[in-house]
Amino acid sequence: MVTIRKPRSTEGLVRFESVTKRYGNKFAVENLSFEIAQGEVIGFLGPNGAGKTTAMRILAGYFSPTSGRVILDGMDLFREPQRAKRHVGYLPEVVRLYPDMRVREYLRYVAELKGIRPKDIPMEMEEKISLCGLTDVEHRLIGRLSKGFRQRVGLAQALIGDPPVLVLDEPTTGLDPKQIAEIRALIRDLGKRRAVILSTHILPEVSMICNRVIMIHQGKVLASGTVRELESCLKDREAIFVTVPGAQYQETAEEILSKISGVENVRVVERHENEIQFCLETAQDEDLRPEITKFFVESKIPVLEIRRDQLTLEEIFLKLLKDGWFQQRTKIEAKAET
Amino acid sequence: MRKVFAIARKEFGSFFHSWTGVMTAVMFFAVTGIFFVILTLNFAQISMDPRSAGLSSFPNISQTHYVFGSLFLNLNVILLFLVPLITMRSFAEERKHETLELLFTYPLTDLEIVAGKLLGLIWFFEMLLVPLAGYALVFYWIGGELDWGPVLSAFLGFWVLGMAYLSAGVFVSTLTKSSVMSAVGTFGILVIFWMMDFAPMSGGGGVSVVVNAMSPLRHFRNFTYGILDLRDLIYFAFFFFYFLFLSLRSIETRNWKES
Repeated sequence: MVTIRKPRSTEGLVRFESVTKRYGNKFAVENLSFEIAQGEVIGFLGPNGAGKTTAMRILAGYFSPTSGRVILDGMDLFREPQRAKRHVGYLPEVVRLYPDMRVREYLRYVAELKGIRPKDIPMEMEEKISLCGLTDVEHRLIGRLSKGFRQRVGLAQALIGDPPVLVLDEPTTGLDPKQIAEIRALIRDLGKRRAVILSTHILPEVSMICNRVIMIHQGKVLASGTVRELESCLKDREAIFVTVPGAQYQETAEEILSKISGVENVRVVERHENEIQFCLETAQDEDLRPEITKFFVESKIPVLEIRRDQLTLEEIFLKLLKDGWFQQRTKIEAKAET
Repeated sequence: MRKVFAIARKEFGSFFHSWTGVMTAVMFFAVTGIFFVILTLNFAQISMDPRSAGLSSFPNISQTHYVFGSLFLNLNVILLFLVPLITMRSFAEERKHETLELLFTYPLTDLEIVAGKLLGLIWFFEMLLVPLAGYALVFYWIGGELDWGPVLSAFLGFWVLGMAYLSAGVFVSTLTKSSVMSAVGTFGILVIFWMMDFAPMSGGGGVSVVVNAMSPLRHFRNFTYGILDLRDLIYFAFFFFYFLFLSLRSIETRNWKES
């Protein structure tokens, strides 16, 4: 159904060569380099404000980087933007469409702007409308559509012209679980013959759809590797959450916790009127909960809750940055190369 | 070029997605119609009773110039209100809905985007001009002695003046996310250009000569007299392309400005 011609070069379909985007003294993206091959689904992972959207906007040709090059199928995206941009389909983070246009009318407009030959437009539209499940709403005003359908119209416009590279900025945010599952299945399917790059801050989503992950933070690549490689690296840290009642216990509790061997980085995560929650990190193998409970009972501090959790992505990031992640990163890259 | 037309068609069509386009057209026809009727009736009265206008006799006042010359000069003032209404949404609306983001990722040059938008607006403006020709026919039909030359040249002048103003309006629209701000800003700029015509009254000297030479109204007035001067055409072309250039620069700022 969908025909995609073979890429011109054997190397990556998309190549970022030390791309930097700077606003004044602030780096949105700094010295970003990576490659994506055809048939790969890459997860762009990072906390909000990490530079994911900036990197994706650069790849989509929205704006040019301050320095560096983006090579798309052998073409420099900013030297010959007219030709190179035909090879990218972009789904922005928040899909903004003309509310007063009808779905069909809008997709025709996009097809015209993408330079599809007039005689090919009807077929192109039929194909994308059925692929994205828009048949029932094709004559409705975009402004009246539900968020899920608008997301699909967004995906349809990205797919028009069958670009070999798809850039999807948080494609599942704001959708209901059923829609999320549908979109994920669609992305997996699309990724078979294209290079797909998608950003997200949902960790499980990455392991579900992506072959490879690029983690970025403050505009820099923190780590890149397959999902398994990263998981093995991330899972060696776990967090224990302890909740005690009342501020009067805070100091004693902190003191006790920091004395226990194997506990690192004790901090208060939440503070209500009469509840304080601490978070402490441990290595994966040892479960320190019995010991913590014992010490608390001995010091007569009531414990409301004690819970063991894997670190969330945000916490992992903070941790990685503190720990001098770069040593581990070289380890991963060395592993990936061998 | 196909892409430019696609954008222009969409831009033109969007006037009819809401009532804005229709309301603008209706308002324009109502105001110009009233002007035309008043001017024609005035002329009829003066020609029958010159003393009512303070004239001792009825000299050779050109009917065409009295009615159409004044009509087009009045239209110039209406244009100050009309153009902001036409251009206010062009980029401001897209920036508000953030639909520009996608537009920039398609294989389009910035020039194609701005030219397409501008062309769509010009089509709408030209659509307003067509019924205006009806006034000339009505005037002819009620027995006016129509001198076609000045009327046609006034039409031409009004057309190029309108296009120049639209270009300025599109530029202002690229600067803001709010249609209202865009309209107010465009009106402000156009009023400044309009006031340039008054410069010699207030001063004299070199500055006022320059300001006066920059006044669109001064160049437009030649057209209403039936004078076709290449300098006036060059002036409006420069006006048009200058603001087109500024619009291009303005949307290019996305490359270095944090949005």
